[in-house]
Amino acid sequence: MRTLIAEDDFASRKFMLKFLSKYGECDPTVDGMEAVDAYLMALEAEMPYDLVCLDIMMPKLDGYQALKAIRDIEQERNIPEDKQAKIIMTTALNEGANVNKAFNLGCVAYAGKPIDQAKFENVLRKLELI
Amino acid sequence: MADDMITEGMLDMFIFETEQGLETLENICLESRDAGEFDDDHVNEIFRIMHTIKGASAVMMYQNIATLAHKLEDVFYYIRESKPENIPHAELLDYIFEVSDFVNAELEKIKEGAESDGVADDLIEQLDKYLKKIQGGKGAAKKEEQAAAPAHAPEEEKPHFYIAPVASDSSHFYSIFITYSPDTDMANIKAYIAINALKGIAEDILFMPSDIISNPDSAAVVLEFGFKIAIQTTEDADRIMELINTSSGIEQVEINECTGQEFLEFCTEAESKAPASTAGEIVLGPIEQPTIRTDAKKPEAITLTEEEEKGVEAVKEAQKEKAEKPAPKKKKPAKKAETQSFISVNIKKMDLLMDLIGELVIAQAVVLQNPDLKVPGLDLSNFKKAAAQLTKISSELQEAIMAMRMMPLKNTFQKMNRIVYDTSKKLGKDIELEVIGEDTEVDKNIIEHISDPLMHLIRNSVDHGIESNEKRASIGKLEKGKIVLEAKNEGGQVWISVSDNGKGLKRDEILAKAQANGLLGNRSERDFTDKEVYNFITLPGFSTKKQVTEYSGRGVGMDVVVKNIQEVGGVLDIDSEEGRGSTMTMKIPLTLAIIDGIIFSVAGTNFVSATNTVTEFIRVDEEQLIIEPDGEEYVMIRDICYPLIRLNEFYHIAGGKEKISDGIVIILSYEDRKVAVFADGLAGEQEIVVKPIPSYIKKVPGISGCTQLGDGSISLILDIGGLVDKK
Repeated sequence: MRTLIAEDDFASRKFMLKFLSKYGECDPTVDGMEAVDAYLMALEAEMPYDLVCLDIMMPKLDGYQALKAIRDIEQERNIPEDKQAKIIMTTALNEGANVNKAFNLGCVAYAGKPIDQAKFENVLRKLELI
Repeated sequence: MADDMITEGMLDMFIFETEQGLETLENICLESRDAGEFDDDHVNEIFRIMHTIKGASAVMMYQNIATLAHKLEDVFYYIRESKPENIPHAELLDYIFEVSDFVNAELEKIKEGAESDGVADDLIEQLDKYLKKIQGGKGAAKKEEQAAAPAHAPEEEKPHFYIAPVASDSSHFYSIFITYSPDTDMANIKAYIAINALKGIAEDILFMPSDIISNPDSAAVVLEFGFKIAIQTTEDADRIMELINTSSGIEQVEINECTGQEFLEFCTEAESKAPASTAGEIVLGPIEQPTIRTDAKKPEAITLTEEEEKGVEAVKEAQKEKAEKPAPKKKKPAKKAETQSFISVNIKKMDLLMDLIGELVIAQAVVLQNPDLKVPGLDLSNFKKAAAQLTKISSELQEAIMAMRMMPLKNTFQKMNRIVYDTSKKLGKDIELEVIGEDTEVDKNIIEHISDPLMHLIRNSVDHGIESNEKRASIGKLEKGKIVLEAKNEGGQVWISVSDNGKGLKRDEILAKAQANGLLGNRSERDFTDKEVYNFITLPGFSTKKQVTEYSGRGVGMDVVVKNIQEVGGVLDIDSEEGRGSTMTMKIPLTLAIIDGIIFSVAGTNFVSATNTVTEFIRVDEEQLIIEPDGEEYVMIRDICYPLIRLNEFYHIAGGKEKISDGIVIILSYEDRKVAVFADGLAGEQEIVVKPIPSYIKKVPGISGCTQLGDGSISLILDIGGLVDKK
């Protein structure tokens, strides 16, 4: 499983990196813009990411925008649904409105911080990523 | 569902929606009980509810709930699509209630922060069997149709998952505002030290101005406008304060807990305002390289080695933020404006508001009755006008706040439906519940206090009040019992009554029991009014004893019921007619905090009694006074005899008038009992704010609280019930 992590906070980024590295290669990015760039590069290289973890409060491009950008790119390139990256939002914003907004934008899961590792892995299993 | 108005956490929303769904579900079931079948609308509605619960619990990753809901959804899918005839309705209802109970139990666990670990396998299996049963005999065609059902499922939206954060409850948001004394050097660095200290405990932290490290000019900004921090942490405010205080030069720190929403708003605000502090030179190109920072920025700042690393990061961050500022802005505020026509408010805030109004009413009395105004010859006409206006506004304000706290009893009453259903089914009785006045509104606080007592009363009625079906038939009553639950407003009180047409209370048997327990004292049985007799069943020892002996009658936890009602200042009124049924009425005051009171004085001590308890004031002559040989005093007024309490003797107050014709007698009533109280004179009438007696004073009989009067003195509030009992 190839994972892209977008997270501006150093500690959280390190945590995610450590947590997800056991399932395969993980690339860290520090903001939404860099995440979308990294996503595009991987597409060009024909090594797309299976999983993208996006923080919401990030500089340059926030998580929602990054999520939308990635989904737009996929649509433009006619990437079939099962080939699309699974996107999980990782954020401290747990209000229902935020969660629904993210779901509507096309993320598959929404993880509240601090992240519950057991549940997170559970979801990965359900998504058949691990 | 995807409503922008929703600001609660994801979990709260799930619990709320699911509870609502279950409530509707139960109501449908109860409605359809008599019909013996579900009509099409009901089937669709139940299907929809189970579908929603299934979806929501799958998102929240409560697999057990989702699976169970899915199974019930399957059953209703079949019923909806195939419209089988003669489905065993009662059995289906039982299953639905079991499902509902299971989900409710799981929700309780979730609310308490525990894992939802219930296993519903048995129930699922039963539902499976039930489904097979109603499908059974319909042949292969039906089977096929059923097989087609799963194919339906995929059309549903893609699955979503919500991963609840670990211990989200313990995480708080705080907004912090720090001001530094004006002569502080390098306030920006001081501020950064505070941030650095907080980083250790922060899950998320934001601050403004955000360029405190990269921009030396920010020192001035910090000094002038203060330094704002928003932090999300599991620690409490004290710990935050401790950490902030590690840096010097702080003049004042303000820490306020805020909501996630406010935290988010702060982020938005911080982003939009941050550039202001940097004024002209927005982009500081070279800062990206950490090396430059050391020489370009003031070197003194970087004496702490550990700080250095973090500093670099912060610089970068500040840099980043600056660069992209304009982009993520606008959105949120625009959206907010159009949606918010309702807000949900923390009940604590409402309580605070209520307290403040209480204080305002006191302060108002202190001003309007100020002794300074009593200078002879002062022209107060303008003052009086202004005072009248002030009084009017403050009472309107009080009413408005009261109205805000009011909630209809509907939800509480609806729950009772289920209780009647469950209890009567278990006892094999056929009982109908009629609900009247469910739109009556009462204070939120009161709702919380009455739902338990109400449940007790209803259970009692079903269990002990209504006779068994056979018994009813044999005595010529309608076999179906009836319980009426009614709420109404009645002179500043709300009356909630539960009446049944069962067997009623048996005066003789209760009296016999009371006699055996030694409760009658030396009064003869005939002296007791019916109400006094019925009130025996609310005594703690009384009820349990009756239960143990399997004695027919009421009393399951009646003492608890009464205690609960008393907590909100109410009384329980019991009325009954043997053989015809009984009525239990809870009479609860609409408001607890501010009441109209009459003030009277006894040897310089003030007492207050709620205006609605005062029946009359009267001057009494010596000849109306009756003194019994044992010293008990009574007054005879218009041929009615009232026991007399002399407040100065009762509370051992030295001085005070002794001759009955010198003072005034006040007749106070409590329920249907009256007592005469002798005081020196009346002092006035005022809105009084009830404050509890401080806990270091031991409970005094006949005193329910205290209040502050207009002249600033303290007055005791008489509790008529206590006085009457004492007498």
